[in-house]
Amino acid sequence: MKKKRISYEYSRKGIEQSIMRHAKSLRMPEGWAETIAKRVADATDKWIEDKDIVTEEDLRVFICKQLKEVSPDLAFAYHNHDKII
Amino acid sequence: MSDLLCFATIALAGFAQATLQLSFGGLILLYHASMGQHRRRKTRHLTTAYILGALVITLLAVSGIAFWISQFAGQALTLEMTLICVGIFLACAAIMWLLYYRRGKNTELWLPRSFSRFIARKAKTTDDTIEAFSLGTLSAFAEMPMSIALFFIAANCILTISAHLQVVAILAYLFVVALPTIALKFYVRTGNNVVTVQKWRVKNKMFMRFISSMSFMMLSAFILAFWVY
Repeated sequence: MKKKRISYEYSRKGIEQSIMRHAKSLRMPEGWAETIAKRVADATDKWIEDKDIVTEEDLRVFICKQLKEVSPDLAFAYHNHDKII
Repeated sequence: MSDLLCFATIALAGFAQATLQLSFGGLILLYHASMGQHRRRKTRHLTTAYILGALVITLLAVSGIAFWISQFAGQALTLEMTLICVGIFLACAAIMWLLYYRRGKNTELWLPRSFSRFIARKAKTTDDTIEAFSLGTLSAFAEMPMSIALFFIAANCILTISAHLQVVAILAYLFVVALPTIALKFYVRTGNNVVTVQKWRVKNKMFMRFISSMSFMMLSAFILAFWVY
């Protein structure tokens, strides 16, 4: 059986918003959350620049690696939010 | 059967149900999603509605089963029915140990992936107390394969207890069942976040499996010792 593949356009704004949401639920100060989101989005932009296609998991792993450097809790929340139940 | 013994059985049954993780996991999801989108006040309302939803289903199920027993099973469960419940508890103990959690460094449960994704999606999009209430009821329903036998034993004990204590017994059962979710609510209210709780859950998954499994086994042993013999 063939698995259906869905492709999405990379969205910097989407990544920033997602990080902001997770940061907010961790009660991080808004300014600090924005700084982290911007920093990670910059790094992701740079990383994705020379790639034609990346999987969602690759992108997630890369973002988590970046987040781990600034906030391990935020990295944990980002990586595990869909593995709770 | 003394009232004290009935209360002890109700407490044990409530404890076994409290160790089930679906409602608790759903509440963590709701907290995480809601705190990222809404103000704290709204998050408080949503989580209260969620807990109430789960409790209302538990209350209705226990009361409904108590009514069924009183009408059709002759005031109390027969010895055979009690033994069937004990058998189910032993099976639940084995399931809790072997199948309840998925493998890996997470707290994913036995539920079909599509269903847990549905609950996660609902938790993310919930922005109204009625929706949160129905999400709570849904989580209580989804937990029923593991909790239905507990409801039978709790209902049986409630019927056996003196009439003036029956309401107290139902409330005590609900309180024990709701304890983990209430504790989470207080923990978050005191300035902590749910990620700490989730990290603890992942780290102590083995301990949670052990406690759940043991609680079902202890309940079986308790019923066999005090109700059957």
